[in-house]
Amino acid sequence: MAGRGKLIAVIGDEDTCTGFLLGGIGELNKNRKPNFLVVEKDTSVTEIEETFKSFLARNDIGIILINQFIAEMIRHAIDAHMQSIPAVLEIPSKEHPYDASKDSILRRAKGMFSAEDFR
Amino acid sequence: MSVTEIEESFQLLDKKLLQFMDQLELLEEKRATLNSLIEQGWFSISKARYSMGNKQVSALQYASEIEPQVHVHTRKLSSDESVFCTERLSQNKESDVASVEDIGSEEGIRRRNKPKDFGEKEAQQKTSGEKASKVTPGKRSEQNPDQDPLRWFGILVPQSLKQAQMSFKQVIDLAAEIATLQTAVLNTRQQLKDDMKNKPILQKEASATQPDGVSD
Repeated sequence: MAGRGKLIAVIGDEDTCTGFLLGGIGELNKNRKPNFLVVEKDTSVTEIEETFKSFLARNDIGIILINQFIAEMIRHAIDAHMQSIPAVLEIPSKEHPYDASKDSILRRAKGMFSAEDFR
Repeated sequence: MSVTEIEESFQLLDKKLLQFMDQLELLEEKRATLNSLIEQGWFSISKARYSMGNKQVSALQYASEIEPQVHVHTRKLSSDESVFCTERLSQNKESDVASVEDIGSEEGIRRRNKPKDFGEKEAQQKTSGEKASKVTPGKRSEQNPDQDPLRWFGILVPQSLKQAQMSFKQVIDLAAEIATLQTAVLNTRQQLKDDMKNKPILQKEASATQPDGVSD
């Protein structure tokens, strides 16, 4: 296929990953590295952070989808990412509904109306 | 700077603010749609699991070879904005390839009752037949018919799992739109922030040019 596009990566709980993989985003590359991480109860925060950073470093990934409750665990890493590609999208999870006030992008946009901006 | 120019720049600032608000509103709408679609997807997965068995539709059933069916194309606009759009490998392509293969192999069959120019035509047919036989194995390995992720969970999967797949396909398309909107929102915010810094200077200039002091 000429001009192959980028991939969509996902970090989420089992049902979220299964759903998106059903949708057709999954890939196992030549080095057997997946573009998804199924976060279970025993998955450490370091592992999540490392996977997230490895997704950021890959130039074949265009969008990273991450459950908001997992994003909360590595908020500093998400806030530190300022580039537009790959885009980071926070999505709800089964047990944790989406909260716009926690979303990194919306918090940045909301920062527009802080007192400092009007000085 | 004349009064009209100052007014114009203020109007531009207002326009940008309104644009920013519109983008935020649109983002919120799309977010709500995305969230409800994901919920639908989960619900369908749960229904499928209920009918297939408790341990079905799990991460353990993912295939050992996974190839992406959808790609996202990114394009950077001049104003630091990025546009994301998804492209899906169509399932029809596989059936097209299969039909082409069949025709190709039929052409390769040698005909018995040949009139004239037998030698030349046969030579051509042989070469075309060879070409077809050379091409088809490569295509077969590229286009694995078992690429549909639904097949990982069984051959006769319940309708609810197909519904879940449909929901998540829609979610993926919507995710690309939201990613585009997010970069647009951040970009507009940055522009607005830069313009706001110049506002006090403009206000001072405006008050200097209007000594009578028409407030606001």
